[in-house]
Amino acid sequence: MKENVGQKEVRRDIRNSVIAVVLAVFFLFPVYWMIQISFKSDAETFGKILTYYPREFTFEPWLVNLQDKTFLLSLRNSFINGFITMGITLVLGIPAAYGMGRYRVRGGSIFLLTFLVAQMLPASLTLTPMYLIFSKMGFLGTHFTAPVAIAAASIPFAIITLRPYFKSVPISLDEAARLDGCGSVRAFISVMIPAVKTGIITIIVISFLNGWNDLVYSMTFNVGEAMRPLTANIYKFQNAYGTKWNCIMAYGTILVLPVILLFIFLQKYIVGGLVAGAVKD
Amino acid sequence: MKKRLLTTGIAAMSLMVSAMPVYAEGSPTEVTLWHYFDASADAQAIVEWVDEYNSLQSDIHINCTYVSREELMNQYTIGALSGELPDIGMVDSPDMASYISLGVFEDITSQLEEWGELDQFYEGPLSSCMDSEGKLYGLPQNTNCLALACNMDVLAEAGYDHVPASLDEFKEMVAATTNADNDVYGFAMCCISTEEGTFQLLPWLRSELNGESVNVDNLTAESAINGLTVLGDFVANGYMSKECVNWTQADAFNQFAAGKAALAEVGTWHLAQTDTIGDAFKYEFCMLPTGDAGTSTSTIGGENFGICSGAENIEGCVDFLKWLCSKEKEGEWAVTAGKIPTRQDATADYTYEQEGFQVFVDEMNFAQARGPHAEWPTISEAVYTASQSVFVDGTAPADALAAAMEKITPIVEETPLP
Amino acid sequence: MRKRSLSMAARKSREAYCFIIPAFIYMLLVLGYPLIYNIVLSFKNVNVKNLTKGGAIFVGFQNYIDLFQNDTFVLVLKNTFIFTIACLVFQFTIGFALAMFFYQKFRLSGPVRGLLLVSYMIPMSVTGLLGKNIFSNAGLVNNLLGKFGVSGPEWLVNTSTALIAVIIMNCWVGIPFNMLLLISGLSSISPEVYESASIDGANWGQRFLHITIPLMKGSMLSVLMLGFIYTFRAFDLMYIMTAGGPLNSTDVLGTYSYMLSFTQYEFSKGSAVAMVLFVCLFIVGLFYLRLLSKEDD
Repeated sequence: MKENVGQKEVRRDIRNSVIAVVLAVFFLFPVYWMIQISFKSDAETFGKILTYYPREFTFEPWLVNLQDKTFLLSLRNSFINGFITMGITLVLGIPAAYGMGRYRVRGGSIFLLTFLVAQMLPASLTLTPMYLIFSKMGFLGTHFTAPVAIAAASIPFAIITLRPYFKSVPISLDEAARLDGCGSVRAFISVMIPAVKTGIITIIVISFLNGWNDLVYSMTFNVGEAMRPLTANIYKFQNAYGTKWNCIMAYGTILVLPVILLFIFLQKYIVGGLVAGAVKD
Repeated sequence: MKKRLLTTGIAAMSLMVSAMPVYAEGSPTEVTLWHYFDASADAQAIVEWVDEYNSLQSDIHINCTYVSREELMNQYTIGALSGELPDIGMVDSPDMASYISLGVFEDITSQLEEWGELDQFYEGPLSSCMDSEGKLYGLPQNTNCLALACNMDVLAEAGYDHVPASLDEFKEMVAATTNADNDVYGFAMCCISTEEGTFQLLPWLRSELNGESVNVDNLTAESAINGLTVLGDFVANGYMSKECVNWTQADAFNQFAAGKAALAEVGTWHLAQTDTIGDAFKYEFCMLPTGDAGTSTSTIGGENFGICSGAENIEGCVDFLKWLCSKEKEGEWAVTAGKIPTRQDATADYTYEQEGFQVFVDEMNFAQARGPHAEWPTISEAVYTASQSVFVDGTAPADALAAAMEKITPIVEETPLP
Repeated sequence: MRKRSLSMAARKSREAYCFIIPAFIYMLLVLGYPLIYNIVLSFKNVNVKNLTKGGAIFVGFQNYIDLFQNDTFVLVLKNTFIFTIACLVFQFTIGFALAMFFYQKFRLSGPVRGLLLVSYMIPMSVTGLLGKNIFSNAGLVNNLLGKFGVSGPEWLVNTSTALIAVIIMNCWVGIPFNMLLLISGLSSISPEVYESASIDGANWGQRFLHITIPLMKGSMLSVLMLGFIYTFRAFDLMYIMTAGGPLNSTDVLGTYSYMLSFTQYEFSKGSAVAMVLFVCLFIVGLFYLRLLSKEDD
């Protein structure tokens, strides 16, 4: 009896795995498509026949991207954007999520409404006025300018995601910290934050991504070439010569690689984080 | 908390830096120039030329930065409000009128009139640097227009050994050279929903029919409707790909270069890109056969350089403009970038495609400027929308153009076209 | 006793404020001015002719009235709702189906589930370009359709199909995200509930309708609300893939507002459109808050 049940389960397991792989292949096909174009020669890309894999494999489109003299500079700028956005989000978002999750505050719904509303403003709405303020403050053209604008969107996301995590930390931990003589701030730092580690790692990745993927704010607030992030190169391959798809796809893959790498490392935590935040509430 | 300290620190530092006197008396003024040259020949040339100018004098030192075209236009728009503008800025000829109206550029009429060389400039390009009262805000640095590229091999296969000379002959050739089996269209042009589309559509709308032709303030005239009908029929009959509504001019040219279109509407700068065709087929250029036999119409394009409001050392910057647009430099630039000089005393010694350039230079006599008008973008949108509704939705050209005139008429009534 | 706990509560409330206020002030500073700026701008008639020369006057609600009488705006508003609702419907149902599937414990469920999130991680500008490439007349989609003997439409050239292509690309990005959120909702239902139901003789369909759906109501509504907000204000995808064309068939409030302000220099009209977008989302946001507070209680 046991053997039969076991066999049935194994078969179902295999069947599901096969279905999963098929789904993945189907779903990720556009990603494969993007990557395979990036290894095609110019002639094949513009050729009359559509090929599903490069007949003439070439690294040329990648070299065009990587050998560009501003590549390392742009890479650095993208990292800076990502890290600063992440920093601002963590420093401001975590305490706010804690305050809103752990305490009963009067006017809490107003705070929540403000944070929610902040996610509703499109860039076309905020671009010009932000530029005007920053210009008056002399704040343009610094490494912090764009992240300050980007963080305005990732802070609310952090708060709304982390709040339920803080909410679900058992009170016993709180009490234990007080018994040990911790003030509120120390309790917060040494007990609460580690308790919501999963959520925090999620926010780290997402806020870094927001900074890394940004185009509009970085381009508008920093005109000089020295500050341009990698995302700005999107214009490079669509010019008077037309659209060079192979170079663009190579550029797209390069842009996405750090994302994917980060994600592979922290996969477990992200899945947990996103899930708890939006749903448990 | 921590964040506040950081922001205060940054604010303090920026205040300090901006308060420091940067240069001692007598050293060249640092000046910024923003451009959007992206074809490699132009992009390289502007950098080299700016270096050359910097070494020739010590009044100003120009720092040259490439900004993508869309971003640069946004910077001008936001800069109109914030005052954060470069000192010298490049702008596409039809866009300049709007920016002049927004106060982005500085009135330099007196400095330029002192120069005494203004009468050498062609009227069309120069007008794009003016406001409605004729004051000047910059100089046209290069100009170009549109003509027809013909794949002589494909034409020969269809039984033609010469280029089209009238609209009727053109229509015949387009129909005859379309070969669906070989994936070859008779005609390719750009009709995208941006200024580029309008640029290529205008010659057909402003074409001469039975001795009459109109400008954009009268698009319901018979000649305009006829022009649009011709193009609409091309699409409806499969002689021109409907994808033209998504093609940039570069895409349309690439179609021609790849042998996917027998005839194509191309610009002067494409002469610098004919190496992509190489020896694949024989090609020739001719004037756009938009109307009656022996007539042609085209659109003036090109880029202008202006001095932005609040620039440092306006005199020095204007001197740069005069140097850039001197007859020698214009001649040089035309050859490097595949453009046409904006002044008649400049001679461009083209070292390639001489025959082609001659066609475009001749075409300049029939090319018309767009506007200039501060609300040109809205007029432009009406034009390409009308054309797209004919190509995509099959709207009758007369109706489409009538709809366009509903948007255009109020604008030109308030401020007529020059 | 009571006095002591009151002051404790007061102290706790003040502590909470200390934690929350910095973020709150940051938001007000960074976004407060832009919001007011746009509200004011939308009540004036600023455009290329009077931006710097002066002469812009207050026109009250005229911009808004003009908008709703403008055919293009009505089309854009329609597009935005069609786009948002279609994306939500597909993302949600397919996401739910995938969630049910991947919720089962089998060997590859974890890794594959994670891999599927990649499409969500790609920046929208790149996704837009990818979409433009694969939906072109001779692109991947039509090529694949051709292999099955189907003649694909001219996706990005016809007003009837362009929005569909954009919706498909957006769903590609949104489905894994939905799937993930819904899996968590599923995992909050304890298996015992299902067991007792099947002991009582309920089949799969009945278990789904009478157990899964009711218990998932909370998470389902959250996913839909958040999805609405993020989809409604979409910009990058359609801007890069079709530039709102052809003939405004893929123009949504976000792209239309940008075009009005930055291409046609109709600054006040652009702000008015953006404010319409904001108001729509605000109303949805209020609904969301009502739902949240109901659950908190």
